Amino acid sequence: MKILPLLASLVLATVSAVANAGLAIIAHPSNPTTGITADEAARVYLGKTRTLSSGTQVTAVDQGAGAARDKFYKSVVQMDDRAVKTHWSKLLFTGKARPPQELGGDEAVKEFVSRNPDAIGYVDGKVLDRSVKVLLIVP
Amino acid sequence: MKMWLLRTCAASLCLTAGAAQAVEGITINGFLTAGATYGDARPLGNLGENRTVSQDGNITNRVGFTNDSRMGLQISAKVNPKIDVTGQLLARGSSDDFNMKADWAFVTYHVNEPLALRMGKVKLTTFLISDYIEVGFAYPWIRPPQEVYSSNPISTINGVDMLLRFNVGDAVFLFQPYFGQSKGAEALMPQEAIPAYNFFFDPDLPPGTVLNVGFTADHMVGVNTSFGTDAFSVRGGWLTTQVGAPLFGVVDDDVKFASAGFTVDWMNIVMYSEYFRRIIDGGANLAFPNQKGFYGTLGYRIGKFLPHVTYADLRDYNDPVGPFGDVPLIQKSITAGFRYELGSGAALKVEAQQVQPEDGTRGLLIADPNGAFSSDPDDKVMIYSLAVDVVF
Repeated sequence: MKILPLLASLVLATVSAVANAGLAIIAHPSNPTTGITADEAARVYLGKTRTLSSGTQVTAVDQGAGAARDKFYKSVVQMDDRAVKTHWSKLLFTGKARPPQELGGDEAVKEFVSRNPDAIGYVDGKVLDRSVKVLLIVP
Repeated sequence: MKMWLLRTCAASLCLTAGAAQAVEGITINGFLTAGATYGDARPLGNLGENRTVSQDGNITNRVGFTNDSRMGLQISAKVNPKIDVTGQLLARGSSDDFNMKADWAFVTYHVNEPLALRMGKVKLTTFLISDYIEVGFAYPWIRPPQEVYSSNPISTINGVDMLLRFNVGDAVFLFQPYFGQSKGAEALMPQEAIPAYNFFFDPDLPPGTVLNVGFTADHMVGVNTSFGTDAFSVRGGWLTTQVGAPLFGVVDDDVKFASAGFTVDWMNIVMYSEYFRRIIDGGANLAFPNQKGFYGTLGYRIGKFLPHVTYADLRDYNDPVGPFGDVPLIQKSITAGFRYELGSGAALKVEAQQVQPEDGTRGLLIADPNGAFSSDPDDKVMIYSLAVDVVF
């Protein structure tokens, strides 16, 4: 009797693993990269590199202020808002690099990534569908 | 922090057109500092109507708003995947009309990921924060320690530089050679040169007059190099140039400048420290002494607060002093202050600085060199400052 709910939850978990997971880092379906680490994502989002370890060049797109952005910077980049702003002030106002474009919310990012082969972004797991490829799940 | 002019394009037109590339159009970013200063100028002696306290005359013994106030707008455009154009307009509170001027404007050619070439009017990087010295939000103080930062009055050059950047693990290594010239930079004529100036040009300037002298720097060759992460970084650099101020008979006098420093922003600890030395030959040396200086800043972040203290020291660098040598400008100062984050992209800063010039010199203050400073060893000047920095 105890196995059934467990099985059920396992099945449910597989089906909705992605949907329930907090945040997904996504790329265009044609991107050959199979997955990235949080560290790698952080480097891309801080403008330190544009090339993933798979050799693919990517352009990161960001979200505007909101829950997804807060979670991404806290869990993946691991820098607070002040540190991120300071980091980009130094690069931006010296002409060395520009921060990722901000596209509003989950849907806008998913839409953008699904249409741009070199784009990567992050969205809440709830909005995921087949139009994008998941590179990393951030629980 | 940014405004995408082409956001509408990204959101609608380009998307429906199925553009293959992420849209990178023209972006405008800006920064602004609004600051107030007050100098406790009692020890300055008998300067009559003249109430200036700071070397550049912008801090006085009245509450003033010009010294640190400024606004900058940066416009960047991607011409193609390899080339982008960046321009920065800057307006300063200290200029009478708050006119905007092009602080820098250059074209960048990204040869490949580690290598970029820039040409145009570029920032001259001689210190840790030279690159973004106008962007107060990016550093802890209201203004960087003048015992070090005032030693180089040239902030931009017309020329070329090369940015070679390698990732070494988590760190970035930067090698940046540059070549160029500066025209129209201004240096403050030392107070000690005013009698000679009056003698030759007969304008009868009173002591305490703030007079900027335009000068040129040609054939500037230098290197800036740095290594580090967001948590820790070191930099070093040197440059040589030939300065000229024809009005004063200064033609192609050699200048050598070297500087090094490090910064830490680790856990909650914030540290900055830098050292420089400057050697100037010929007639220019009479008014602009050989100098060395350093400072150290230590801060500790407590939530949104960053209290910090700075000790700074400016000395003469092996120079003859007197009628045939230069005029030493020696001082030390202690600054205590804090920075407080006002939400996203804004900070409030408050500082109190005690400046103590060496006996017999006025340091970087404005005063009659034969006046109060030379006789009273306890003369100190307090400078109080408050500023709000934002980036947008």
